[in-house]
Amino acid sequence: TGAVGLYNIGLSCCLNSVLQVFLMNIYFTRILRRITVPPRAAQKRNVLYQMLLLLEKMQCGKQKAVSPMDLASCLSAYRVKLFATHDAAQLFLTLWNLMKMQMEKPELVKELTDLYTICIQEHLACQKCSLETKRKSSMLILPLSMLDSNSHMLKTLEDCLQHFFRPVELTDHNMCLCEQCGKRTPFLQSMKLVHLPHSLTIHLKRFCFEKSAYIHKLNNNLPFPQDLDFNVILTENQCQADNNEKAGWQYELFAVVAHSGSTSFGHYCAYIRSLTELKWYCFNDSHVCQVSWDDVKTTYGHSSLHLGETAYLLIYMKKH
Amino acid sequence: MAQWQEVQALPNARLKQIDQLYSMAALPMVVRQCLAAWIENQNWRQAAEPCSSHALMLFHSLLALLGEHLGSPGLGDEDFMLKHNLRKARRDLQEKFQKCPEDFANLVANLLQEEQRILRLEQARGQGDAAPAPSTPPQSDRQQQIQRRLAEFNTALQEAERAFRHLEDLQDSFDFCYKVYFQPGQARTSDPQYAQQIQSLQAKLQILDRQRQEVLAQMQQLLGRSETLLDFLQKELEAWKQRQKRSCLGAPTDTCLRPLETWFTELGQGLFQLLQLLRALGDLRQKVTYERDPLKEKTPHLEQRLRELLTYLLQSAFVVEQQPCMPNPCKRPLVLRTASKFSARARLLVRLHDRNHHMEAKIHIDRDPPKIKGFRRFNILTSSSKTLLAGDSPQDGLVCDFQYLTLKEQKDSRSGKSSKGASEGPLVVTEELHLITFTLAYAYCGLELELETSTLPFIIISNNNQLSSAWASILWFNMFSCEPKEQSFFSAPPPAPWPQLAEVLSWQFESVAERGLDQNHLLMLAKKLFGSKPSPKSTVSWHKFSKDSASGFSFWAWLDGTLGLLQEHLKQLWKDGLILGFVSRKQTEKLLKGKRTGTFLLRFSETVMGGITCSWVEHPESGPPAFPAVAPYTAAELASLALPDIIRDYQVLVEENIPENPLQFLYPDTPRDEAFGPYYSQRQDGNLTEQKYLKQRLIRVSSRQPNESWQTEEELEAATENLETLQLQPGELGTQQPGGLGMVQVTSGNQGMLQVVATSPGMLQPEGLGMLQTGDLRTLQTGSQDLEPPQPPQVGLGVSKVLQPGTGEQLVLHVVPNSQEMMQVGPGGLGTPKVLTSGLGMLQPALGTMEPPVVSQEQGTLQLESLPQGQEVLPSLEPHLGILEALEVVELMPNMDREQEELCPRLASNAALLDARDPFLPQPEDVALSPVSSLFTTDFPSLHIDDSDFQ
Repeated sequence: TGAVGLYNIGLSCCLNSVLQVFLMNIYFTRILRRITVPPRAAQKRNVLYQMLLLLEKMQCGKQKAVSPMDLASCLSAYRVKLFATHDAAQLFLTLWNLMKMQMEKPELVKELTDLYTICIQEHLACQKCSLETKRKSSMLILPLSMLDSNSHMLKTLEDCLQHFFRPVELTDHNMCLCEQCGKRTPFLQSMKLVHLPHSLTIHLKRFCFEKSAYIHKLNNNLPFPQDLDFNVILTENQCQADNNEKAGWQYELFAVVAHSGSTSFGHYCAYIRSLTELKWYCFNDSHVCQVSWDDVKTTYGHSSLHLGETAYLLIYMKKH
Repeated sequence: MAQWQEVQALPNARLKQIDQLYSMAALPMVVRQCLAAWIENQNWRQAAEPCSSHALMLFHSLLALLGEHLGSPGLGDEDFMLKHNLRKARRDLQEKFQKCPEDFANLVANLLQEEQRILRLEQARGQGDAAPAPSTPPQSDRQQQIQRRLAEFNTALQEAERAFRHLEDLQDSFDFCYKVYFQPGQARTSDPQYAQQIQSLQAKLQILDRQRQEVLAQMQQLLGRSETLLDFLQKELEAWKQRQKRSCLGAPTDTCLRPLETWFTELGQGLFQLLQLLRALGDLRQKVTYERDPLKEKTPHLEQRLRELLTYLLQSAFVVEQQPCMPNPCKRPLVLRTASKFSARARLLVRLHDRNHHMEAKIHIDRDPPKIKGFRRFNILTSSSKTLLAGDSPQDGLVCDFQYLTLKEQKDSRSGKSSKGASEGPLVVTEELHLITFTLAYAYCGLELELETSTLPFIIISNNNQLSSAWASILWFNMFSCEPKEQSFFSAPPPAPWPQLAEVLSWQFESVAERGLDQNHLLMLAKKLFGSKPSPKSTVSWHKFSKDSASGFSFWAWLDGTLGLLQEHLKQLWKDGLILGFVSRKQTEKLLKGKRTGTFLLRFSETVMGGITCSWVEHPESGPPAFPAVAPYTAAELASLALPDIIRDYQVLVEENIPENPLQFLYPDTPRDEAFGPYYSQRQDGNLTEQKYLKQRLIRVSSRQPNESWQTEEELEAATENLETLQLQPGELGTQQPGGLGMVQVTSGNQGMLQVVATSPGMLQPEGLGMLQTGDLRTLQTGSQDLEPPQPPQVGLGVSKVLQPGTGEQLVLHVVPNSQEMMQVGPGGLGTPKVLTSGLGMLQPALGTMEPPVVSQEQGTLQLESLPQGQEVLPSLEPHLGILEALEVVELMPNMDREQEELCPRLASNAALLDARDPFLPQPEDVALSPVSSLFTTDFPSLHIDDSDFQ
């Protein structure tokens, strides 16, 4: 099979899961395979090259699992510590940025950026004088809150997405300085979706600070669909895109990075749907097994199981 | 079953695949066969990893085992070929894989995997085939999934155990080397041999660490999969709970817990095994640990997660198997009566327990009472704790069965006596929901838990007459509450969507009489509730359903009355579809209009609670068709005479006409006797030689004026209200006066009519002539049984309260002894005919002396008395005592013969013997005066012989 495990080399389940999400993505590996091989001396510190080596090792098909030791030690040179627990979303960003930074061919940089970047237009409108400022911004991960503005649990992923794009009034402490009015005024902040990438990464903010600095994990049930159509979720004025762009906003679930345990300790595993075989696999470090959609659904979250697996990162892939 | 055995059992097509598999493989099948069990028990996949010493070890073990096998005495001469093949195989293997045992491990691992794949294919096909087979109960997709996943879980668990054993081996080997070679502090760092040893030690530690990681990863995977499995079980359990709920309401569903129990137990067993494994891992860590030991980091987390999973599994596995129920026949659980015994049972679906540890189960009632004013509190009088018993056989499972429980209201449950009355809580008793909670102190394998489960809410009544409305509440709650413990549900009960309500109502009929309500019934009920055709969105409020009694009783009370009538008297007819039941009067007319005269149907009365009526059609020579209906029979009437018998003998008396049975064809067009024949009660065979009594039969008759237009039922109902009801004088009916006559006061004389018909055996009813006896007529005695008639020879006819004067239908007693005499008592004289008939020989003179019936109009009572003539052959008449509906009829000595039949018509006309001056009857002043119809006093209806007697 195309699914090969990664040995845990000491609390590396998070790294392993994120790596699997990258390496099982054929659109990413197509880019990865075209990198220029760095000079020998630089090879050990080149994240992309180490990724490629790991991919080769995994795909030679001899073993059920390989060790990501070399890549891990390479990463440790960039302050991605070994033997330490990480946050999967954070690690995903770090890894991506490292790769982009070390990419030498500009066309590959563009491709990598295109593959992952979400474009959003932020609107800030002064409520007093209607002065509107727009700003385009791009992000790699859509960070979705599990709670609405009243701290009620949102029911589904679609709700979370809608909540993300809902305009927010900035009042009181959050008032901004209006150039036209010359003072701090209430603003209406809204976000419009401009562009969605081929590979869309969604971060469910399950770890949250609610009271004081105490972090806790939200285990609530939050179903996510296998198929996601942003045209259905967003209203006309939450988008800033032409029909051509919108036509491509049809997604299907590609991977789920799930976390089990609590904030103080835990374990990551990845559920990934092989893009070649169209089958779901569950990657628990070196242990890989084929699963079904029912298993993936178990990561919706469960109010009675606080230590069970819950989806943390969702990666959707554009349909053809 | 071992894998190789399964493989061998495959069908030929699959075996061919296996054959191909091995023909291309370097492992000869003969070796696979010979060492099947051993091969399957090794972790080849593990050994196939590079730099694993395990592969070499396995390879050599295999060769050694083969050698052993070759030398074993079990292989006789006849196995010469086998021996040869094995020897050759061993040589080949040794040659080929000596240098690369990992390849061999890989080869075997792949072969085993491929075998599994083929087995799975076959299994999937087998399931596909088995599904449409009608004999096996169809399993849902989810049930199949559960079974498949359980099997996979167990396989993975075994794999994890194998991996664990391998880890133990590795650790032992490392431990040994470490203790032997590692000597820190000695200046041997420069010793190259020592350095080499340390290096190999380091390598061993690497392998050990990797194996630890691997075992942990496997466990993570196992936990992940068991979460999915538990999810499936949870859904299946939820579905069972729904089924149980529906079954409580009377729905025909399967509430067997056995499959769930098997699945829960199997998963529980697996998880507890995993817990043991985790603990064993902890022990390994105690022996050898090192910096960044994954066991140290991960086992506590894994164990915590596993415990949580187990807790959740056990919590949900504790279920109420039998909801609280009084041992009552009406299949209505969840209604309990104070001071009556009831029982409830909980079961732990995970059948795992420690025989040495006694687990105590307790029950509590209303542990967290809702904050409702006036909410009654109860105590469970009997013992509320019990040791959980595992039945003698493991099949019984873990059950806490609480039987013979009784409830008693706490005296001080209401805050002071002043709170009674208006200031009481807003809920009436039958809307007050109570809960019983079971708790169980569970302990197994070091896991200690307090498990808890609650019954469905139930209602506590103190009197049986609250049962009906309590049951309505139970129906409503279980249909429309989404929160199983919502005790304050009735403070704001939601309205019922009609489709849901209709289904539940149908269950009521199904559970009582095995036949639910069909579309037409439901349509009629809906029209009754909504006044029009219901849409799926129509809803009924709780108030309208159970309380609104604008028409005298609520919808539910009416429906439940019908249910009661069905259950007691009409089960079979309803079950067999002879009762059309819920048909409105309008619809009745529509149905009957196009049918021939005498077509009738049976429908439940809409104006009488628990009443059934016959409507039939008559097409007069001119004018529109008429649709007469008899006043509804209620349980009281049906107790004396079953409905089929009423239908068989029913007669309408029209002045100057021969009484006839208008009920000829059951709608649509089944002849009456064909439809109801199987339900007629048998007319008993008398013992002819000993008969001293006349055969008797009770029939019902309606009378009407020839020119009288048919009253509709509603009109009749209205009329009833204006009439005084029958009054019985219990004293007169008592047993202390043998022969004392029942007395009935009939207020509406023009309709009352009493007839006694005695058919003579042998003559009229060659086949039997048993006296007609309805169930309740216990005191009626057939002639053959009662040979010693009490004195004086009188017939006491107690006519009962079931007579409904003014409703157009009366109890009629015919006495037709030998068809020679027929006595008819006209209306107004209902209750107490006393008939003395004379023997055949004396008949003639007796007739001569007969007096016409005398009716005392002023008194409104009619007294019948026999004439003294013909006393020597007077058959004795059994005095009727006590049972009101019963009647006694004289039976002639069994010496009649055929010729008598011819006499009948002639004799019949003046056979009635009436005497107004009966000394046993109450004095006039006791009697309510009433007008007596002119019908009776002036024109006595012509006598006739019941057609059916001449069958």
